[in-house]
Amino acid sequence: MNVPLDPKTLVAEMSPVSTSEHIAAMKKALLKNIQRSAYVYRVDCGGCNGCEIEIFSSITPVFDAERFGIKVVASPRHADILLFTGAVTRAMRMPGLRAYEAAPDPKIVVSYGACGCTGGIFHDLYCVWGGTDNIVPVDVYIPGCPPTPAATIHGFAVALGLLEQKLKAETHVEAAGETAALPHPDIPYALRVRLEREARRMAGYRQGRDIAEEFMALLEGRAHTPGSFTLLECMMEAIAEERDPRRAEIIGHLAEVVQQAIRGEAPRGETP
Amino acid sequence: MLKLLKEIFRTGEATVKYPFAPMPVCKDFRGKPEHKAEDCIACAACTVACPANAIGMETDTAAGSRTWSIDYGRCVFCGRCEESCPTSAIRLSDDFELAVGSKADLTRKAVFTLADCACCGKPFAPAKEVDYVARLLSQSARSAEEADRLRLTASTCPACKRAQDVHHIADMGIARQMTQELETTP
Repeated sequence: MNVPLDPKTLVAEMSPVSTSEHIAAMKKALLKNIQRSAYVYRVDCGGCNGCEIEIFSSITPVFDAERFGIKVVASPRHADILLFTGAVTRAMRMPGLRAYEAAPDPKIVVSYGACGCTGGIFHDLYCVWGGTDNIVPVDVYIPGCPPTPAATIHGFAVALGLLEQKLKAETHVEAAGETAALPHPDIPYALRVRLEREARRMAGYRQGRDIAEEFMALLEGRAHTPGSFTLLECMMEAIAEERDPRRAEIIGHLAEVVQQAIRGEAPRGETP
Repeated sequence: MLKLLKEIFRTGEATVKYPFAPMPVCKDFRGKPEHKAEDCIACAACTVACPANAIGMETDTAAGSRTWSIDYGRCVFCGRCEESCPTSAIRLSDDFELAVGSKADLTRKAVFTLADCACCGKPFAPAKEVDYVARLLSQSARSAEEADRLRLTASTCPACKRAQDVHHIADMGIARQMTQELETTP
């Protein structure tokens, strides 16, 4: 196979397949007048099989893509839609192109998963082409790692022109005088860090941050309301209100951290 | 036969109504990372954390701007950006409907301005980050003078800080030498 080679980088310059205007018009007509099922052929171009599992779970009875006539077929010669998964490894370029050429025109090419869209986590590997659109023209991109069955059905609906795409390219430009708000300015910075660190240690970054936020909102709320509550009392109240014993445990621990900070003790494992 | 029909009616319909009805997702579902550019200080922590290099930053010192960008096509929805964000500006939402027709629609950008160094006047860090750090430092300062000093330190570029340190250390060396000589001379 003679391919033009760039002598500087030793990378073969292979232009992606282009489609003619005639085929584009045919494709538009197909999308407009499609009155029958859309058959899907799945081309695995070096994926990890996560995407395949999600494709098969989207044709199970729970998601049932077949109620829209979407059916997975065994040969590209039967296909209306080609579903490319994987980051397109070097070895899979020719088989991918053969599947593309074998499918009758007009065909819709869907790039599935993060690897199919842009190469995903493998985008800068030496042995991949980094995305389906580097070898064949792509009509619809379904990102996700892997896309959930619901995202798959949404992607097919976009490919068949039944639903509009939701994402639009946006650019935010910083406005004059735009500032990021300081979180909880009433709580000392060192205490805030200690609380957040402790909550994250006990519950992970997501739930930990949520619990720490709730706890600090509670602290600030109590500081602003008049009344003769001691800190311990309001903490005990918050713990008693909590239904989940795990969250109650964490809130109790955070209350202990606050008590320690008030007494001027250093956190565990640190010397003052 | 009757038994089978009975069983079918008892089971009901297993298929979800999506896309004709909204699809409920579980709590803490990892969907599209939602970036609130108003809260972002362009510190680039997410850029470093992102394993797939979906999030990137480009600094243009000539234009005095830093551009943050995310490519949803490359994102693997791991949540490391959310974990590393100091201001909770990025958070994984429960939006999973990301399919697009053109690849350009998969990117989001945010342009931030760069602050000039208080000493040499060259742009060195995003203005929002400098402002945020200065306010955070002055919040924990003991006195108004210390707060002013910390604010000045935050808005000085690393090169100027280093140069000032060198001058300071040199001054200290001279002072030490002079005191030593004064002490030793009778």
